[in-house]
Amino acid sequence: MAGRTAVTRTSGRYRVTARTRLGLARALPPAILLLGLLAAGAQPAWAQAVTEGGRAYGHFPVIGSRAAVWIAAQVHLMFAAFVLGVPMFAVVTEAIGIFGKQERYDRLSKEFTRLLLIAYSATALWGVTLTFLLITLYPRFMSHLTEIFEVSIWIYVALFFFESATLYIYYYGWERWKAGRAKIFHWSLGILLNVWGTAVLFIADSWLSYMMSPPAEVTADTAPAQVQFWSAFANATWMPINIHRLIANVVFGGAIVGAYAAYRFLAARDPEERAHYDWMGYVGNFIAIGALIVLPFAGYWLGREIYEYNQAMGITMMGGFMSWLWIIQAFLIGVLFLAGNYYLWIGMGRIPGAERFTRYTKWMLLVLIAGVIVWATPHTMIANREELAAMGGTHHPFLGVLGVMSAKNTAVNLMILTTFLSFMLYRRANKKPVVAWAKQGTVVQGLALGLSAGVVIFYGIYGYFVTAIVRIGFSVYQVISVLAAMMLVVVIDFIMLRGAESRGAIRWGQMPTRSQYVLLILAVSFTWLMGLMGFARSGIRQHWHIWEVMRDTSQWAATPALGYAGIVISVCVLIFLAIVAFVFWIGGLIEKPVLAVTDETAGGAAGLAPQPAGD
Amino acid sequence: MLATNFKIAAVVVLTLAAYSMLANMIPQIQSEVPEELELSGEVTAEQLVGAGERTYSGAGGCTACHGLGTRAPNLLTGDGGLGAIGTRCAEREPGQGCKEYLYASLTEPSRYVVEGYNAIMPDARRSLSENQIWAVVAFLQSQGGEVTVTAEDIASSGGGASQPEPAPATSSLAASKEPRALLAELGCLACHVLGDQGNAVGPGLTDVGARRSADHIRESILEPAAEISPGYEALAAMMPVDFGERMTAGQLEALVTFLAEQK
Repeated sequence: MAGRTAVTRTSGRYRVTARTRLGLARALPPAILLLGLLAAGAQPAWAQAVTEGGRAYGHFPVIGSRAAVWIAAQVHLMFAAFVLGVPMFAVVTEAIGIFGKQERYDRLSKEFTRLLLIAYSATALWGVTLTFLLITLYPRFMSHLTEIFEVSIWIYVALFFFESATLYIYYYGWERWKAGRAKIFHWSLGILLNVWGTAVLFIADSWLSYMMSPPAEVTADTAPAQVQFWSAFANATWMPINIHRLIANVVFGGAIVGAYAAYRFLAARDPEERAHYDWMGYVGNFIAIGALIVLPFAGYWLGREIYEYNQAMGITMMGGFMSWLWIIQAFLIGVLFLAGNYYLWIGMGRIPGAERFTRYTKWMLLVLIAGVIVWATPHTMIANREELAAMGGTHHPFLGVLGVMSAKNTAVNLMILTTFLSFMLYRRANKKPVVAWAKQGTVVQGLALGLSAGVVIFYGIYGYFVTAIVRIGFSVYQVISVLAAMMLVVVIDFIMLRGAESRGAIRWGQMPTRSQYVLLILAVSFTWLMGLMGFARSGIRQHWHIWEVMRDTSQWAATPALGYAGIVISVCVLIFLAIVAFVFWIGGLIEKPVLAVTDETAGGAAGLAPQPAGD
Repeated sequence: MLATNFKIAAVVVLTLAAYSMLANMIPQIQSEVPEELELSGEVTAEQLVGAGERTYSGAGGCTACHGLGTRAPNLLTGDGGLGAIGTRCAEREPGQGCKEYLYASLTEPSRYVVEGYNAIMPDARRSLSENQIWAVVAFLQSQGGEVTVTAEDIASSGGGASQPEPAPATSSLAASKEPRALLAELGCLACHVLGDQGNAVGPGLTDVGARRSADHIRESILEPAAEISPGYEALAAMMPVDFGERMTAGQLEALVTFLAEQK
C-alpha cells in the first residue's frame, strides 16, 4: 500500500518526495544483537573514518567476504526464526492448557520455552559474528546503513533487553505462577514476549528491506544524513516481508520442534517417553504444515510489492537469472507436502477407526504427485540458444502446457485441498459424531470440498483460453474457493463433533520409526527452503548493496549461480542443525520433562489445532 | 543410541546432498556485474557482435523476456515463424533501416510494442551505455542479417572510446510542451487510448477530464500507485513512476491541462 505523496518542485522539475510506502521486503539479518551495541557505541567515530577515505571492503580468507557474511547471516537468521517462531505457539499451547484445562499442553509449552532459552544464546552468538564480519568486511556499506537507522538500532537493542528479561521471567516463573490469576499473568508474559519479538523482527526487517527497496527519492547522490528515517524504515517491501516472516517463523519453529520430538522419540527408552514425543511431533508437524498452507498468500503479496516497486527486479526474480530457483522451490515444497501427508497417513495406523479412511490414501497420493509434477514443470526459463535447441523451444513440446500459471495454480490449490483433507480425516478418525444430522453434515463437507476443487479446475482450464491479464484474476477466485471451503468444513466439523463418541484412544508412541525420520526430513527441507528463499530475496538486488543507491564494487559483487548457492545453503543448514542437535542434547540434560499424554480426556480440545482426536 | 544418531546424521546429510545436487543439475546462470564497454575508432563488426552477445545475454538482461517468446518476441529463434530478427528488421518500420529501427526500439521501446505483448520493456539507456546499445544492435543484426553498425553510428549518438557511465534514460525528452507530442514521446498511447489512437491496456484518456480533476491527473502521472483505477490493479506496475523526473514543470502542467480538458 502506498502512503501519501508530496509533490514538490525543484529546479523547474517536479520531484516526488516523502514517499512513505508501507510494505517492504525481508530482512537484514534480524536479531543482530551486538550490531546495535557496537553501532550505538562506536558508530560515529567509525563512520567518520570511513567517509574520510577509509577502505570500502575488507577481505576474508579462503571463502571470501561474500560467503563469510552469507553463512553468518543465514545461520543467525535460522536461529532468529526459531526463537521468534517458538514463542508464538508456546503461548498458544499454554492458552490451550489454561482454557481447555489440559495440563499436558502447559507442559509442552514449557518444554518449547526451555529450548528457546538455550537457542537464544546461539542466536546472539551468530548475531555478534555477523556484526563483526559486516563491520570489518563491508565498512562503507555499514556506515551508510547505521547513519540512516541509528535510532532504530538503539531501540532494537533496548527491545532485546526487554525480550531477554521477559523470557527469563516467563520460563523461571512457570512453576511459581501456575494456577488461578497468577497463571493468567504468566500467560500474559508469554504474549509480551511475542510483542517484543515481533517488534525486533519488524525493526530488523526495515534494514534489510531498505536494501531492496529504498524510497524513490534516495539516489546514489543522496547523503545518508538526508534520508528521511521513516521513509527508509517503512519502505515498499517492509510490511509484506514482516508478514511473510512472521508466518514462516511459525512454520520453521513447528518443523524444528517436530525434529526435536523425533530425535527424542528415537532416543526414548520407555513407552511413556515415546508417547509424549510422538504427540509432540504431531503437534509440531501440525503447526508447520498448517502455517505452510497460508504462507503462499503472504509470498504472493511480497512478490506483488516487489513488482510494483520495480518491475525489472520482479522480472529478475521470476523470469530472469533466478527463474530456475522456482523449480527447485517447487521440488522442495513437493517434498514438504508429500512428507507432511505421509506422516499423517502413517499416524492413522495408531488411531482406532482410521482404517475406514485408508482406501482414500492412494488417491490423495496420486493428486499430490500429479500436483508436484505440474508445479515443477519448467516453462519460459532462461536458456541459451543451445539449451533452447535441446528443449525444442522455450518449453517442452508436450509437457510445456503444464508449465504455465493456469496449470500450476490449479495444482497447488488441489494439493492444499488434499492436505487439508488428510488433516480432517486424521482428526475424524477415532470420532463418531452423535448429532442427528451427522450424515448430512458430512455430505455438505464433501460437497464443499468437491465444489471447491471444481472451481479450481474450471478456472485452471478456462485460463488457457483468455489473455494473461484476465488469467491473473482467476487465481484469486481459486484461492477464495479453497479458503471458503476449508473454513466451512472446519466450522461444520467443530459443531458436528461436539460431544462425539470415541472409537478408541490414540495409541501414542506406537508409531513406526520411519515416521520420525519423515519429521527430520521435513525439518531439513524447511530449513533448506528458508535458505533458498533468503538467497532469492537477497540475490535479486544483484550487484547492489542498496538497490540503485549503493553499488557493490567488491570482487564478490556478482550474484552466484544456484549450484554454488545450493552448496552454501547446505553448509548453513548443516551448521545450524549441528548446533541445534547440541541444543537438544543440552535440553535433555537440564531437566527431564514431566511426561504425560495419558491425562487427555476425549474430545474436549480447544479447537482444531493439536487435538487430533479423543485419545 | 549410537546407531540411531548415525542414522539421523545420515538422513540429514543425504537430504542436503540431494538438494545440493538438484541445485547443480539445472542450468547455472550467474548474474554478472555490468562492465563498461570500451570501443576504439577501429572497432570491427565481429568485435561489436561479440560484445553485443555478451550484453544481450548478460548485463542487458534481454533474455529475461526475449529469450522466452512469451513476455516479448523471441528475437533469436524467430517470432511466430517469422525468422530471426536480423532477417526482418529492415521491414519492421517503413522508412527505417534495420539498425535505425533496432536502435530506436531499444531506446524508445514503448513506440514499438508488438501486437499481443505488453509495454513492459524499459528504455535501454537506463542500464546500458551507448556503446553497449550499439553492440546489441550489431548482435541482433547478425541474427540472419548483415551487420552495418559503424564507429560513426556510435559516435553520432554520443558513444565512443571515452564514453562514461550510461546516460540517464530521460535526458532526451524534447523541450516541446505540445501535449500530443508529449503523449507520443512518453509512450502514453502504448497503454492508453485517446480518441482513435493508442492501446486499451490501461484506463482510457478520451474522457479522463470528466472523471478526474487536474490535481488527480497530476498525481496519477507523478505517483501512479497512489490510487489505482478499479479493475486495473493487476496492471499498476506497468505505469512508469519516473515521469516527474522526465518532464519539466512546464511540460507536466501542459499535459495535465490538456488531459483535464478531455471530457
